[in-house]
Amino acid sequence: MRQAGAWAARVGVGFVRSCVVAGVTLLIPAVWAVAVAWAIWWNAANPWSWVGPFVLVCAGTLGLSRPVCRAVRFLVARWTGTVIPAGYREPGPLVQLSTGYWWNGFSYERTRRDAAMDQKWRIRWNDPANWRDLRFVLVAPIVVCVPVAGVVMAVAVRGIGLLGLVVAVAAAPFAWRLLEPVAVRFLRPSSAMAMEGRVAELAAQRAGLTVAQAAEIRRIERDLHDGAQARLVALGISLATAEKLMETDPGQARALLRDARGGAAASLAELRDLVQGISPPILTERGLVDAVRLLALDLPLDVAVDAEVRLCLDAPVESALYFGVAELLTNAVRHAQASRARVSLAQDGTGIVVEVQDDGRGGAGDRDGGGLAGLRERLAVFDGTLEITSPPGGPTRARMAVPCASL
Amino acid sequence: MRILVAEDLYLLRDGMVRLIEAYGHQVVATASTGPETLEALRTLRPDVSVIDVRMPPTQTDEGLRAALAARAETPGLPILILSQHVQQLYARELLADGSGGIGYLLKESVFDADQFVGALERVAAGGTAMDPAVIARLLNGTRRLGDLTEREHSVLALMAEGLSNQAISRRLFLSESAVSKYTTSLFGKLGIVDDNDTNRRVRAVLAYLNES
Repeated sequence: MRQAGAWAARVGVGFVRSCVVAGVTLLIPAVWAVAVAWAIWWNAANPWSWVGPFVLVCAGTLGLSRPVCRAVRFLVARWTGTVIPAGYREPGPLVQLSTGYWWNGFSYERTRRDAAMDQKWRIRWNDPANWRDLRFVLVAPIVVCVPVAGVVMAVAVRGIGLLGLVVAVAAAPFAWRLLEPVAVRFLRPSSAMAMEGRVAELAAQRAGLTVAQAAEIRRIERDLHDGAQARLVALGISLATAEKLMETDPGQARALLRDARGGAAASLAELRDLVQGISPPILTERGLVDAVRLLALDLPLDVAVDAEVRLCLDAPVESALYFGVAELLTNAVRHAQASRARVSLAQDGTGIVVEVQDDGRGGAGDRDGGGLAGLRERLAVFDGTLEITSPPGGPTRARMAVPCASL
Repeated sequence: MRILVAEDLYLLRDGMVRLIEAYGHQVVATASTGPETLEALRTLRPDVSVIDVRMPPTQTDEGLRAALAARAETPGLPILILSQHVQQLYARELLADGSGGIGYLLKESVFDADQFVGALERVAAGGTAMDPAVIARLLNGTRRLGDLTEREHSVLALMAEGLSNQAISRRLFLSESAVSKYTTSLFGKLGIVDDNDTNRRVRAVLAYLNES
């Protein structure tokens, strides 16, 4: 009894949903029907009477296609949980130039409002998603044609009318389910749109990378300039003075030489620290696994390293992953107050995966300009990803993955 | 002493040779690549060899690998590794065979020529000469402080650098007999029962590292 009740409820919900789907997808065909009826009402034989309805069909189809697609996407997400990415072009930022005019990526406009309006229409008009939406609104009505056709037959053809009505009523609760596969097939971004998105993403990445690289080079230059270079100059001066004093005051000359030696040692130590930050020597000499092992030894943390004996990686990927592990382990010590961590490195046919897990207090999250955001950017260059699960109370688990093509 | 100098940068190699010769030792050969170094170690069996870590052809850890390979064939072959940087991973590998006659120092340790040649002589005699920074990191990395007293721990650290009891007593402002008491007690705690003192000192550091 209860099963029958549940079944009836499902059928009822299905029937309502089918009606909603029919209403949404038949909106545009309804506009066409209205236009045709209008032309016939005027005078079907006179070609001029078709002009108005034609304009109505064009305007209605173009204007309604995007709202209809949005509605379908919303319904599919709501009923089935399948989220279909829209892939519409996003407007770029509006920039006010020193002349006071506004630049919207396409043209200069006198006011911000004009610039926004102009940009909106250009993007709307040139968006490749329009063609996809149009195709969908032509295909979608077919989905609901079974029950609707049944109703039409029931009304129009007296003989098999009853059969049509039965088919319509029986099919209705299930007809809406066809919407999901059709929407997934026809409403997702086309490959050209996906490509365009990818190009935009790469351009943004490249810009970010260039900025980061320039900053890094400036930092190195400054460190060298204020550190080792200055020390070498001082060293030269000490040596020149010592040479001069050698005959007149050997005692002071000897003291100067001792200072010079100390200065040379200090500048070497500075250079060593600098090199460690640019590219740790052990990475060059031994590769990622041993570099991570050394990192584990140097940190005040119990770190277990699981690794395949041989990883075959390009130097840039190796470096990005090394600094990634260093960042994650440092976070484990500094923020999570962990006492143990585990690093595992594995490479297979699809790419390399490095996992870092600690027993700290968790709660790690991305902040703009924070270490994790920087790490994400570093990995994104190689199409790599960083996933972090860090519930409050811990443990934190981070997974860096770089796909094969980048290795 | 008959000494081998393996270093790929000409200026450094030349300087090192002149410094060693100035102290009255003989440089029997020089090498500038990993394979050359291994060959010279095998055929000449120098009294002590000064070897750079990074060398051609791969510019990775060629020198270190040549040293480890030669010592695997001839345990205790005295070798002093010189490098621009010291890593505790390498120090562990060098100490791992427990046979002494090993050194691992930063290149700038050459600045103090007396100490450098002292270290060479110590290594040639089967002792150790380890960079203090790397030893400190090695011993801090181990978390078995409970077993050794703080004093024993600092004696062990200086021992690992390669200092004699006399040098340790001077460094820690203790009497030599007090230092030898500490060494005996820490050998006991670490279970070292070797008769040879040099060996025993290296083994003590190793035993300590391996317990962690």
